[in-house]
Amino acid sequence: MTATIEIDSVGRRYGSTWALREASFTLGPGVTGLLGPNGAGKTTLLRVLATALPPTTGTVSLLGHDPAVPAQQTGIRRQLGYLPQELGFPRGFTAFEFVDYVAVLKEWTQPDARHEEVARVLDAVGLTHSAAKRIRALSGGQRRRLGLAQALIGSPRILVLDEPTTGLDPEQRATLRAVLAEVAREAVVVLSTHQTEDLAALCERVILLDGGRVNYDGTVVDFVGQAAGRVWLATEPDPRARASWRTGTGLYRNIAEQAPPGAELVEPSLEDAYLLLRGAAPIQAATR
Amino acid sequence: MTSWHIDDAGLRDWIGHRERAEQAASVELHLLACGDCRERVRDAHLYEDSRAPALDLVWGRVRAAIQTPRPSVVERGLRRLGLPAADARLVAAADAFRGPWLMGVLAVLVFVVLAAQFGRSSGQTAFLVVAPLLPSLAVAFSYDPSIEPALEQELVTPYPRVRLVLLRTIAVLGLGAPVVLAISPFAPGGAPFLWLLPAVGFVAAVLALSTWIDPLRAVAVVGAVWLAVVLAAAYDTSAAVILDGPYRITYLAVAAVSIGVFALRLRHLRELRTGRSGL
Repeated sequence: MTATIEIDSVGRRYGSTWALREASFTLGPGVTGLLGPNGAGKTTLLRVLATALPPTTGTVSLLGHDPAVPAQQTGIRRQLGYLPQELGFPRGFTAFEFVDYVAVLKEWTQPDARHEEVARVLDAVGLTHSAAKRIRALSGGQRRRLGLAQALIGSPRILVLDEPTTGLDPEQRATLRAVLAEVAREAVVVLSTHQTEDLAALCERVILLDGGRVNYDGTVVDFVGQAAGRVWLATEPDPRARASWRTGTGLYRNIAEQAPPGAELVEPSLEDAYLLLRGAAPIQAATR
Repeated sequence: MTSWHIDDAGLRDWIGHRERAEQAASVELHLLACGDCRERVRDAHLYEDSRAPALDLVWGRVRAAIQTPRPSVVERGLRRLGLPAADARLVAAADAFRGPWLMGVLAVLVFVVLAAQFGRSSGQTAFLVVAPLLPSLAVAFSYDPSIEPALEQELVTPYPRVRLVLLRTIAVLGLGAPVVLAISPFAPGGAPFLWLLPAVGFVAAVLALSTWIDPLRAVAVVGAVWLAVVLAAAYDTSAAVILDGPYRITYLAVAAVSIGVFALRLRHLRELRTGRSGL
């Protein structure tokens, strides 16, 4: 596997607050998901990977280049696509104009080739028929897909997506998954999400961040395996469980080391593993 | 009749518009002279093979023509002034180039000139406080992160941020120049264009300060200092003294130093300010 992202002991501080500490990993082509609660450092890490923010400590290598060196940073940015968490659009633009604008910034100066590329990425995210619409007339999900379209310009080798599925309906999420699966054949895709089902459907690898530190880094299968033998379905919530909540069937799902009385051991899900590994305060569902 | 003929692949490429212009011209010259090849152009098999790409091409052009909106008035104006189309789009994307905002800045300038004409000494003070700051305010609006919502996407593109900032700065000053020149003769004092000297110094200072803080904050800092200087002069003798000899040298020095600082700190424009929200 060709490593295209390598970070070593990367930390980022805002004033006296460390948003990210001692993060180290190597990524190659494929989709890697960042998981973690709000404030865990996901956005900071993605901004560092997108060259939007320099790290306070540690080293970053993207496609074998050092983003701290201006000439190399430009080289990296030529092969980078980025969807920020807070997506902004110039006022009054249509969807086509916005993507065209970003394409100009990405050095697509030849108008015919640029317009063709803009049409391609809009088509990839299913916005061909909304190309001439003003952005203010688009729905939240369409705007998110428009953000993804601008990130896809030029088929980047590194794609950094901060919560790409926010605001998308299930059908749109399925479209997004198909697009990313195609892109990830050759590119490194790093995304953050709160949707564990997206991680399960999309990612080969998961990195769990908590309090600015990497708490887990491994395959999704191994990640889920962390909770094996610890997830129980019972008729009552278990007070000793790390997390316990009522499911749609009326039974309680308990994440616990010991079997609650009369409980049945079940297959763990990604969400179970997430709750287990977070090591947060126990989560207890309200009783009926 | 000629002794050679265009091969099938060449003919298909010509029908499908896939050849370069000079090759296509050569084929067309040959077709004028060769009846056999003209017959082959009509051949249904060749035509069927080539029709799909040709239709795709035409459809692609139709779709592009529909989807590609007509550029805004500012963008078209910038193109007419000689700016390349791509640069015109980058400049026109800034909110500072929207009509209402431009008209607002110019209206303020007209009002302070009128105040200076009819408001005597207080009118003159108002003019000297406000007018030199307006160009730097317009420049700051053209690339301030709070006004430029797409900043985070823009930053991580290979397009040099400093080029974008300077392009917009020049465009703002260029667009405002005719009005400023038209209004300046009505400015107070014997030398109506002198107020442009501090204005130039302030634009340079705002560019330099924006490598530390957001441009609009930089305007606030410069504006606060300038207000204190003008009011102190007005209190002491007359606000007009701030356009006298020693002050002029100071404005030029401010401009020169600021340009130097800006050049030294360019790289700070390439990254997000650490104060932006989100962890």
